Amino acid sequence: MRPDRLTLGFDTSAAHCAAALVLGDRALAAREETMATGQAERLMPLLAELLAEAGVGWPDIARIGVGTGPGNFTGTRIALAAARGLALGLGVPAVGVDLFAARALDLPRPLAVVEDARRGEVHVQVFGPDGPQPPRRMEPSGLAAILGPLPVTGSAAALAAAQTGGPVLAPVLPLAVAIARIAAAAPDGAPRPAPVYLRAADAAPPRSPPPAILP
Amino acid sequence: MTAAVTTILGIESSCDDTAAAVVRAQGDTGTILSSVVLGQADLHAAFGGVVPEIAARAHVEKLDHAVEAALAQAGVGLSGIDAIAVTSGPGLIGGVLSGVMLARGLAAATGKPLLGVNHLAGHALTPRLTDGLAFPYLMLLVSGGHCQFLIAHAADRFERLGGTIDDAPGEAFDKVAKLLGLPQPGGPPVEAEALHGDPSRFDFPRPLLDRPGCDLSFSGLKTAVLRERDALVAVQGGLTVQDRADLCAAFQAAVAAVLAEKSRRAVRVYSGLNPAAPAFAVAGGVAANTVLRTALRAVADSEGTAFVAPPLRLCTDNAAMIAWAGYERMRLGPTDDRTLTPRSRWPLDEDAAPMLGAGRRGAKA
Repeated sequence: MRPDRLTLGFDTSAAHCAAALVLGDRALAAREETMATGQAERLMPLLAELLAEAGVGWPDIARIGVGTGPGNFTGTRIALAAARGLALGLGVPAVGVDLFAARALDLPRPLAVVEDARRGEVHVQVFGPDGPQPPRRMEPSGLAAILGPLPVTGSAAALAAAQTGGPVLAPVLPLAVAIARIAAAAPDGAPRPAPVYLRAADAAPPRSPPPAILP
Repeated sequence: MTAAVTTILGIESSCDDTAAAVVRAQGDTGTILSSVVLGQADLHAAFGGVVPEIAARAHVEKLDHAVEAALAQAGVGLSGIDAIAVTSGPGLIGGVLSGVMLARGLAAATGKPLLGVNHLAGHALTPRLTDGLAFPYLMLLVSGGHCQFLIAHAADRFERLGGTIDDAPGEAFDKVAKLLGLPQPGGPPVEAEALHGDPSRFDFPRPLLDRPGCDLSFSGLKTAVLRERDALVAVQGGLTVQDRADLCAAFQAAVAAVLAEKSRRAVRVYSGLNPAAPAFAVAGGVAANTVLRTALRAVADSEGTAFVAPPLRLCTDNAAMIAWAGYERMRLGPTDDRTLTPRSRWPLDEDAAPMLGAGRRGAKA
């Protein structure tokens, strides 16, 4: 890791526009604006304001960190497309950081990150002593059997704790700061960021079968 | 004084093609240095049509690759680009958003000016790139998502003479293909089947021909095909290969007849402007259909108007047309930042009365 690597992190995977500029362990500037819609209009001006506040320009950015979700599909793609455009334009890497890793940063292990997945479901990832397990989507009623009394964090942590009886931990860092920190520390050669959906696209093959073709 | 040479990067992602292109323009002429189109047909094939969420998922991961490929093929670096043009509507909003955000990122990083381009303007201005048409010319945009007659008066001034009040013809071809068990997209297989069919076996309706004006309708035609199909299946338990060919031929003949007659009316309205070099241009994937193209050409010939159909790769969705439209827009002077707001609906003639069936959110196109 190069602590002097100026990294810009941002996320629009939920009802917010969040961004942070990080140098080593230090957050030079950070913002999080709550908004249900309008992230596509707000994101780039917000990033420009952040850079101005820190007194740096686009050419000073050495790395981009972007939140990959899971979250709102469209929202996740807004930040992701911007990150890939910035990376291409600046000639610097963009690193995808999923929501679980960002929430869990600097919290003690073992830990479970539980996020609201809408439609009565949650997204869960367990960070055990041996590292993170694959994330999954499930109904909250099944959490107790999987997590036991593990400490929980995330947007659905209270809901999870009500099921499991485990303690609720608050995230240590603002989301965008965590994303930037993780991106800054990532090894070189990371793949281009891609959304983490954990839910297939709503699409069904046609219901009525085609007619039989007679000889 | 020689006009400045301008190099534009175009980006398009409003339906199911992820595209990027580099166009070098000078004065009234443009040269396509590269035009990359990454299709998604295989991703949507199982669903019998484009699934917006699947399209959006593909675009966001293909766009930067498309841009890199277009720059590489053109032999131009980002530093050699003078402006970036991106489709900001109309279309499937998920794809449009990804294209606009990628372009915003690129523009911020490089300091290049960014232009939001109307996808329909891209199609409508293509004949100027390919054939150097002068304004005003008549345009028929006919694709899977659009069908409208426009008089192009200027790069930013289009007058709609009429359009479909329901489905676009390409959509009708897709639906008919689906009804008859043919693959997607439906245009090519329906045309191929029709070659062996008897167009006179079924008497399909010619919607809206009995009404004045240039509006069109295609959804009833699709329903008529469905009825004939079901009648045959009820009697025979299926369709013979010949039934299918005849249904395709009769359907295609009906589409051709309607498009030809409405085109004739549109050409006559346009001719009232007494253009110095009258031209009727057609763009969109449906223009690839030989029977339809022949019918439209015949109308132009009989009305004494030149007929222009750009090569197929520039008739279907591509980014060279977006780059060119961006260039034409630039030449008109500084643009409004609002053009960069992604819009699912964005009619070319915003001040005109809304079309029949336009709905609360405005005209479909």
